[in-house]
Amino acid sequence: MRWRLWLLMAPAFALLLSIFAAPLLHYLWLSTQVQSVLTGLKPQPIGAQQWLRLWNDGRFWQDSWQTLRFSAASVSLEMVLGLAVALLLNQPLRGRGLLRTFSLLPWALPTTVMALGWRWIFNDPYGPISRMLAGLELPAIPFLSNPALTWMATVGADTWKTMPFVALLLLAGLQTIPTDLYEAAALEEATQWQTLRRITLPLLTPYLLIALLFRLAQAVGVFDLIQVLTGGGPAGSTESLALYAYLNAMRFLDFGYSATLLLGSFAILLILCSTVALMWRWSLRWQGGLR
Amino acid sequence: MIPPRTLRRWALLLIAILGSLSLALLGLATERVEPVLVLMPAPFADATAELVSAFNRSHPRIALSVTRGPLETEAVSDLAISSLLLGESPYDLLLMDVSWTPKYAAAGWLEPLDRWLGPDALDDLAPGAELGNAFSGQLWRFPLVADMGLLYWRTDLMEAPPRTPAELIAISRRLQREGRVPWGYVWQGKQYEGLSCVVLEVLRGFGGHWLVQNEPQLDSPAAEAATGWLQDLVRQGITPEAVANMGEPEALQLFQAGDAAFMRNWPYAWAELNKPDSPLRGKVAFTTMVSEEGQPHAATQGSWGFSLLAGSKHNAAAVEVLRFLTSADAQKQLNLRWGYTPTRLSVFEDPELLATNPILADLQQALAAAVLRPLSPVYAQLSDLLYRKVNTVISGDQPAPSAMRELQSNSERLLRSNGGHA
Amino acid sequence: MARLLLLLWSLGPMFWQLYSSLKPSEALSGVGAGGWTLENYRQLLQGDPPFLTYLINSVEVGASSTALTLALAVPCAYALSRLSRRQARALTSLVAAAAAFPAVLLFLALLELARDWHLANQLLALSLPYAGLCLPLVILLLQAAFADIPIVLEEAALIEGMDLWQRLRWILLPLMAPAMASSALLVFLFSWNEYPIALTWLSRTELLTLAPAMARIAGSSVYTIPYGAFAAATVLGSAPLILLMLLFQRQIISGLTQGAIKG
Repeated sequence: MRWRLWLLMAPAFALLLSIFAAPLLHYLWLSTQVQSVLTGLKPQPIGAQQWLRLWNDGRFWQDSWQTLRFSAASVSLEMVLGLAVALLLNQPLRGRGLLRTFSLLPWALPTTVMALGWRWIFNDPYGPISRMLAGLELPAIPFLSNPALTWMATVGADTWKTMPFVALLLLAGLQTIPTDLYEAAALEEATQWQTLRRITLPLLTPYLLIALLFRLAQAVGVFDLIQVLTGGGPAGSTESLALYAYLNAMRFLDFGYSATLLLGSFAILLILCSTVALMWRWSLRWQGGLR
Repeated sequence: MIPPRTLRRWALLLIAILGSLSLALLGLATERVEPVLVLMPAPFADATAELVSAFNRSHPRIALSVTRGPLETEAVSDLAISSLLLGESPYDLLLMDVSWTPKYAAAGWLEPLDRWLGPDALDDLAPGAELGNAFSGQLWRFPLVADMGLLYWRTDLMEAPPRTPAELIAISRRLQREGRVPWGYVWQGKQYEGLSCVVLEVLRGFGGHWLVQNEPQLDSPAAEAATGWLQDLVRQGITPEAVANMGEPEALQLFQAGDAAFMRNWPYAWAELNKPDSPLRGKVAFTTMVSEEGQPHAATQGSWGFSLLAGSKHNAAAVEVLRFLTSADAQKQLNLRWGYTPTRLSVFEDPELLATNPILADLQQALAAAVLRPLSPVYAQLSDLLYRKVNTVISGDQPAPSAMRELQSNSERLLRSNGGHA
Repeated sequence: MARLLLLLWSLGPMFWQLYSSLKPSEALSGVGAGGWTLENYRQLLQGDPPFLTYLINSVEVGASSTALTLALAVPCAYALSRLSRRQARALTSLVAAAAAFPAVLLFLALLELARDWHLANQLLALSLPYAGLCLPLVILLLQAAFADIPIVLEEAALIEGMDLWQRLRWILLPLMAPAMASSALLVFLFSWNEYPIALTWLSRTELLTLAPAMARIAGSSVYTIPYGAFAAATVLGSAPLILLMLLFQRQIISGLTQGAIKG
């Protein structure tokens, strides 16, 4: 009986291992090789050189910082806006179903498709924003050509696309909160803010954590949006780790280093997610101790 | 026991049968139509469509077909590279940008053409067009069309084009002050290969070099002056800040709308600017890039040419295609019908073309001013370093000298370590 | 008011695309007159290869990935839901970690996989990595649904003498239909939108799926920016999805939320 259960799981886990585990092991090996255009694309062992190179590569650290900046900004925006939208959609309103569908649409569209759209929306001087500003006789905003602004444009486009997903997760969470809690709060004449602070947020905690971790992991791997919207520019200010690894493999034909970069990004992702999870647990314990 | 004589007879018969069978197979094989597949960027696929059908009519034993690649140069490269990396590339010929060739050759993806085209293959090429096809002692590519950077200027706004950087600034400021154009000069400033082409021209115009004997020269006073000039253009408002995100189409869009006095672009823009419904029809001319006194007016060479892929199973047929598409007749047709710049001297000097195409002589002159980007298998990395850094300078506050010093040391490290490896 | 703002935020950019797609490109760059046109759509549909090819390719990949994912995930989720609590928990957390893993980090290894096993340029083969990448989420979702089915139902069937296959087929799967439908939709959405792997696995232009085709789109008026064509492509590329969302919003939403509640 038991072994049959394992047999049922075997095909799925075999595929999972070959799609997730095997690549990571392969990268581990490839990161000890030099396989590039200069070796005629044949792997040659090189020891820990690639890792040294990674450590000394300013661009890796710059991209790490930019990836983290992007992730932190877009994930926190998505959480705040997502919560607001979830609260809105949780109210008994007319046309709620349709509103829910429409607000989920951005999430369902292909990233490359909308990234092209954003490129046109942010176009200077012919895009709609620039024209609107010109109509108001305001100076144009160089969304895609100013390093200080462009990363915010990418955050905006990413938030537009993934906020609905967060909102939906949180909405599911909101619907598990029993209504009598709110009724009790209303009897005690609690303000809306107090209700949110004392009832909604604590009970929503597991959903917030799931959404946070999931979105964080996806944001650290941002690629499609950046490649199509900015190509990493201007001045490399929006280049993400995944894009740098892609460039090394597909443009520079430097596979050993690309694998090292991919593993490096994976390490950063691991550190980030476990830090968040640990901090979360720690803060819960601290709150528990307080009570 | 079978007598040996009978055995021998049977053996002979068997040999005869096998022999005629294999002959028949051979005959079939030579009768068979050989497919040849070529990958080209979309514009070239459109322009060569008539030539391709002419080829298929005159060569019944070869079936030539063209895959229409993407529009952007780098996207075509990505597509070609992924097909080569995946193995079993379906393509026999690749229409390649001049800057890719060393990388592809070093990766072992190309087959040298010397064996097929002979030692004097490049003899008919116009000065400037022969650059970048042969290196490390072998011929890797044969050019289909020439391309070089040009400075377009508005004939309705000025008498003569500027010849020095200072003149360009002076004319722009005057026109902007008089309110005749919002911007002076637009060019390709996006973080991509096009910016490297722009920088190379200005660099040479200020008397600098990118590489000399495989040694970067990017911290020279000339290099600092060149980058500083580009930065000044943006700071003084002669070039819009949006240049840091402009490629060729964006620059052309702004220039064609009449919003700038000068534009740096490739020869294709001529036809686009003189289309019947273009607002600038008949109001544009081109020349070579401005330069300091005594320095060359440089034009970055950006030609497209055919390379034979090492994995091709139809190389003889593919070379036949290459010969046909790059022949003088084909180039003449490409120029007449689509305005592409030829690479063969005999086409440049064709009296019929000279009569119908008034700019051909000017193009030939500009081509003679062609300068080549470094021929290196790690050129993609070198150029990436350059355009990232210069893009930083034109879109930000970093002063040119310190940026160029960093660029110099990064380029040195790249070359010294053979692509990053100690 | 807040509702209006939300609608504007979600739909505004899409309407701008729709508007751009119906304008001639001269009007978009500010030169030339306005007016409406279907020219951008004509260009796309008559392109080489025609835009429809990409849509069909995407549907093909989406359908095969969905089938493969479900075929693998259903037995696995069933088994997981019947394992002992401790074992199931260990496996589930591994699966959950995989569900969050950003797929782009795998592109280089998957490229080599495609080369070594000759899987490149085959649309059906693309469903292998897609199924692999979707499996974690779908397993979690289905496992939660299986756990919701009272065990007594299955025990009764066992007493009736039904074997494992019969129990699955006649008792469990009918009850699982809603969860399976929403998982199927999620997988389809994923394959429709996936970019980095399609970008590296497909090098023949006539085989491209929608996402890489969009990124490589070539306008017809060669050297002006084909913003109109881009916009038309966005509209055509998202229309099937919008339809899907409007038709099946309940399933998709419940799929997502179920996964969240139990995961």
